Amino acid sequence: MHEMGIASSIMDAARGEAARFPGARLSRIGVRIGEWAGVDTESLRFCFESMVLGSDLAGVQLDIDYCERGADLDIAFVELED
Amino acid sequence: MERVPLEKKVLSENDRIAADLRGRFADDGTLALNFISSPGSGKTLFLERTLEALPKELRVAVLTGDIQTDNDARRLSRVGFPVQQITTAGACHLDARMIDRALSAWNGDRFDLLLIENVGNLVCPTSYDLGEEAKIVLLSVTEGEDKPLKYPGAFLKSKAMVLNKIDLLPYVRFDVRLARGNALQINPDLTLFETSCTTEEGLDHWMSWLQARLAAHAVNVAC
Repeated sequence: MHEMGIASSIMDAARGEAARFPGARLSRIGVRIGEWAGVDTESLRFCFESMVLGSDLAGVQLDIDYCERGADLDIAFVELED
Repeated sequence: MERVPLEKKVLSENDRIAADLRGRFADDGTLALNFISSPGSGKTLFLERTLEALPKELRVAVLTGDIQTDNDARRLSRVGFPVQQITTAGACHLDARMIDRALSAWNGDRFDLLLIENVGNLVCPTSYDLGEEAKIVLLSVTEGEDKPLKYPGAFLKSKAMVLNKIDLLPYVRFDVRLARGNALQINPDLTLFETSCTTEEGLDHWMSWLQARLAAHAVNVAC
């Protein structure tokens, strides 16, 4: 449930970023998740992959950079293709 | 292919609403506290005891989150302050938008103190800023002393920890010193309280802390 909400927030934030580059297609999103963020990375990946299927973000890959001892819950980058 | 580096919070939309709430609380002189614990640590009774001990002229409001039922709101409203139940219908935490919506139902009434009882869960509520001044984490002596080590986020992000149900200490295997040490290992700045809502032991210390916070808050607003 929680990871579903996080995945949805990642998708919304990434859409917002991609919108700044008209004509470019979003291909990859990089997130940084800290040990103390309370997010299960496998569950997040499962939720993300399920939610992008059939959506406008179909095919977009999720990179998860897991860091110990932090509470990070950040989007680190997006990758765009022309 | 172009990689665009970002330093954007995943929960930036929640954080935006929380910042807006924090601004409103500052303008209105509202001290907002967000109570977090596992289910069954005694949050609701702790809040009932807190409400009973507050002066009746203080403008206090309570928001209480649960996945289902309005049982807690019915219990808390007996004291006479306005209470709203937020039923999340499955979500395991409160988010800033839920707080914003609930407050708008009070038509902009100003409060001195807003007590928010989060959904019983030590994981997800820690990720969602509600615009509060402080998170308060409750731990009861029927749980393990190692809860702070198992769920560090809740203890790391809280300003105070309440060790609750201490009247049960003679009947349970719980090492208070170990629990305190574990909590301080995660967050050395935690203010610790030990309370029983049955015998009311230790509640005076908690109330002094709360009154001091309220007083400091009122001074800040006056300035």
